[in-house]
Amino acid sequence: MWKTTRDSGAHVEDAVKQMLPPCQIKCPINEDIQRTNVLISLLPEDIESAKAGIIQIGDYLYEKNPFFNICGYICGICELECNYKTKGGAIRRRLLKRFLSDYYTDYLSRKKKTETIKDREDVAIMGGGPGGLMCAYILSQRGYRTTIFEASNRLGGALWLIPEYRLPRDVLQNTLDSLIRIVGIDVQYGAKVGEDGFTLEQLKAKGYKAVFVAKGTPYPRVLTFGREQVEGQDLSGVMYGLDLLYEVSHGNIGPDYFKNKRVIVIGGGNVAFDAARTARRLGGEVTVVALECEDKSSQDGLPADEEEIRAAWEEGLRIICSRGVRKIIGEGGQFRKIDCPRCTSVFDEDGFNPQFDCTDCVEIEGDILIITIGQAADKAFLQREGLLDERGRLAVDSFTLQSLLNPSVFIGGDVRRIGFMVEAMKEGIEAAESIHRYLRGLHMRWGRKRDYEALGLPQRTSYKQPTDVVWIPPEKRMHFQLFERGLTLKEAIEEARRCLTCGPCLSCKACISIGFEKSLYAVAVDEERCSGCGACVYACNYDAARLVERDGKLVSETDMFRCKSCGMCVAACPSEARALVDDATYDRIETTFSLLS
Amino acid sequence: MSDFEPKIVCFSCKFSWGYLANETSLSSQIKNWIPIICSGKVDAKHIMEAFKHGADGVLILGCPEGDCHYQDGNFETKKRVQLLHKVLDSYGIEPERVRMELSLDPEGKRIPELVKSMSETVRGLGPVRQI
Repeated sequence: MWKTTRDSGAHVEDAVKQMLPPCQIKCPINEDIQRTNVLISLLPEDIESAKAGIIQIGDYLYEKNPFFNICGYICGICELECNYKTKGGAIRRRLLKRFLSDYYTDYLSRKKKTETIKDREDVAIMGGGPGGLMCAYILSQRGYRTTIFEASNRLGGALWLIPEYRLPRDVLQNTLDSLIRIVGIDVQYGAKVGEDGFTLEQLKAKGYKAVFVAKGTPYPRVLTFGREQVEGQDLSGVMYGLDLLYEVSHGNIGPDYFKNKRVIVIGGGNVAFDAARTARRLGGEVTVVALECEDKSSQDGLPADEEEIRAAWEEGLRIICSRGVRKIIGEGGQFRKIDCPRCTSVFDEDGFNPQFDCTDCVEIEGDILIITIGQAADKAFLQREGLLDERGRLAVDSFTLQSLLNPSVFIGGDVRRIGFMVEAMKEGIEAAESIHRYLRGLHMRWGRKRDYEALGLPQRTSYKQPTDVVWIPPEKRMHFQLFERGLTLKEAIEEARRCLTCGPCLSCKACISIGFEKSLYAVAVDEERCSGCGACVYACNYDAARLVERDGKLVSETDMFRCKSCGMCVAACPSEARALVDDATYDRIETTFSLLS
Repeated sequence: MSDFEPKIVCFSCKFSWGYLANETSLSSQIKNWIPIICSGKVDAKHIMEAFKHGADGVLILGCPEGDCHYQDGNFETKKRVQLLHKVLDSYGIEPERVRMELSLDPEGKRIPELVKSMSETVRGLGPVRQI
């Protein structure tokens, strides 16, 4: 739709310090949020004409983030730091991406393959989750031959555990299939660790010059109290949330699986709420029991997202906070109840270290107990491969992700530190960069450290309210179809228009790519003419025009990181001391005027 | 008087007016058209000079109120135009010769219409008094 030019793409420069909009800094992979918001805001209002533009915006996002359409359903970390938060609500970036996804995901299956010549080394990636895929995506585009060794029979890893009412299966499947097709990644399914041909040593013998271990956390964490494992986890009716979500995602569980059952879910994180809301949809009467307290602003608050908690309340789940589990009590081999002392604090200065008041206990009865208190990595594998230190911890450089014990091995994603999808993706990106440096004999650290500074809220006379998020009413959403409605084109344009574009132009350049401007003009100040009156300071909404004292005289200057080259200060200057350098608009004005007479 | 064809200079904000149109084809329909990144960039000096060079009217098209890409450029120019009306009046130039319209028109279809309607107004006023 737009005649975009390649050289005007936004890019995050290698720099010691860089200014960015706060959303882009918050996003672990620094997505170009502002730029694509501007482009969405300029879409035509008729969907047929808008489609070409949507594909263009999508293609642009895809280069950096081949999961952006999935982010549109389940992420939204960027919204936590939006400057608009204090003025009515963050820009609904997640829903804007979901909107793009509604049109882009179909196109993905037709998207052309990239034509990279792969004449560099073979790299093995253990694990086909977001971290591994991201690493393979980047290395493939840089000419490496990448093979993903996936233990199961499908890619995507933990993404499949996200319930379908939040992330539709077809969107996920299409995204995964397209990703490996577009950049040409080899995948070996059923590649289980320990089986023939699948140890790090054997991979090396087969010619893989580097390995990225991104095997995630395939095992549920067992319930402990104090230092002891709580007994009764083998009772009939006791299960782990991870297993439930896994079976549901494979379609192995019928719709009324928990009908007329009282289900207790232990855990306060997002996965626990996923398990709880899933159990509710399977007909259960669900109670969530969490160590953490209700006050999310407190250090000991529930770790699950606010939206998850709200949705759970709406769906009639009972949430019991500040309770631990000391005993699982059964009868005749069948689960009956749990004994729950009050949790007085969850974290102390050393981290997770829950304290309980055992004089205040309650018993909660139920038919099913679902334990969802975290996941664990395959320690036996890591141990066997010699990737753990003498204290049993992963020996890995947290910056380069290179193993400290085996230089051709890189480790990242949930296996290293459990986090959000996009955090695993970030580790995939970092691992790819490290592997490239390692194989090319480059310095592993030089020039990689980035320091970002966020820009503040631009001054404005009025602010607008965000578009409403529409959820299907709880009584009508007890199924696994999406429960959130996406934005319409009109809503998306409106919402994108709200974006205050508070970031610097250098990291955006949307206006250049669509031909509004030729370049980001510098604002020059003629200090002879400048009287230091400050009219420009008043006119500038970005704190870019400032007064400084120079040789005893007050003059204005421009901070080019903040400047938007809008020309308002130039118009405001009463002494013609300010000018936009090389701006052709002024030539056009002159030419037009000269033709008048 | 009857063959008087007013010359209207039209500044239009690129973020709200005609960004979906083909600029070349729109250009052929609008004489003396100057698309500009923000209506807030239109200097009082530009408006005065337009008259000096023989324009009979100046039309400025900006974003809807509260919608400026640069936060409040449209508002700044709206203020500027109001003040300028008083200055122009003292030169004997009728305030109707400088007009500002704040609206959204991605296709830019209304630009030629607005220029035409402004021409009609200015036609009634006659050629501008030279300053």
